[in-house]
Amino acid sequence: MDGFSAKIAQLESTMSLYGREVVIAFAVVVFGLILIKWINQGLKSVFRKLPISPAKGATVRNVITVLMSAALISFVAIHLGLGARPVVRFLAILTLGAIAMIVVFRPLIPSLPFKVGNTVKIVDLLGKVEATTILNTRLRTFDGKTFFVPNRKILDGVVINYHFSDKRRIKINVGIRYDQDLMKAKQVLESLMIEDPRVIAKPAPVVYVLNLTNNCVELGGRCWVDNMKYWVTKCDLLEKTKYKFDNEGIVIAFPQLDVNYYNKSGAPVCTDQNRLQGHGESFESKIK
Amino acid sequence: MKISKGLKVIEKGWIIKPKGYRVKYQKLINSELITEYSPDLEDKPLDSDVVAWRYAWKLYMATKSDSPEISDGELINIFVVDDSDNPVKYYATNQLEVFNPREINV
Repeated sequence: MDGFSAKIAQLESTMSLYGREVVIAFAVVVFGLILIKWINQGLKSVFRKLPISPAKGATVRNVITVLMSAALISFVAIHLGLGARPVVRFLAILTLGAIAMIVVFRPLIPSLPFKVGNTVKIVDLLGKVEATTILNTRLRTFDGKTFFVPNRKILDGVVINYHFSDKRRIKINVGIRYDQDLMKAKQVLESLMIEDPRVIAKPAPVVYVLNLTNNCVELGGRCWVDNMKYWVTKCDLLEKTKYKFDNEGIVIAFPQLDVNYYNKSGAPVCTDQNRLQGHGESFESKIK
Repeated sequence: MKISKGLKVIEKGWIIKPKGYRVKYQKLINSELITEYSPDLEDKPLDSDVVAWRYAWKLYMATKSDSPEISDGELINIFVVDDSDNPVKYYATNQLEVFNPREINV
């Protein structure tokens, strides 16, 4: 009990001697951190208007923030009675230590396969990278949603970075009925791709017969465009394919099934043809 | 003939690939009928005929009037042309199409 009272008395005397400086230092730290945060936000909005990449802007802001924080800590430490030289030496040692750690461990730290501003597909999320931190990556999808993806998930999975390729290949897959003019359909699809100004001449657009399925002959049109124009060009080509096929009389197939019913003697009872001509019994009367 | 040369022959002869599209129209300015283009001839043309025709249709819808006379600001004879000023067929109908067609009385 006596020991506790002595400690309280010691604390009281310390506070009476240095309490004012401690309170002022605390207030300066809080005010300084708030000011640094405001300056950071202001710089963010300024950099957004300038023609610099988001990654460079973030780096510059981080450097300024670190310098301002170091200046704030130095000021508070000197105000509390520490000498200027020891404070500067301590900050210098801290900085050099941090640089050494980065240099030594940087090759060992796995880096993310994209930068801020790149358009990427992570798992099933397609969007633009807005920011990366040590723990997660902020991704903004094209419909306005913001996702925070853990970096561990990114490093363990497959990431598609659309920023690396300046050209992309468009696939126009369309199925036509078996009774349609296949050569005409191929020519129409190929001419559609060739005459679009956005489609690159080399590699030249081509049309393949991909498959003979149960209900259609599947054609695959392939052409290359600039990465930035990929989406709009693909949608335009699909729309024009539909219209052009309609205008040329080429019927696009859709899933359908023909059912033919035969009686015991093998004669067709109810086929499409018979029904249209008014012959044969209905299928429903037979199954009752 | 080498294949590369043959391909160039095909490129020139088979399908004409326009460099861009513009919407061409006429409008009345001070009782005088003026022909204009959008985008202007000095500006870069549109690279999609789908976009150009859609744009032409919207211009027509925004400026049409029910009056038999051509009113100020009304755009008439609106259609899409390529970089050589040749009319381009409307991709939906495969026909030459003109929005708000009006005969000009000289």
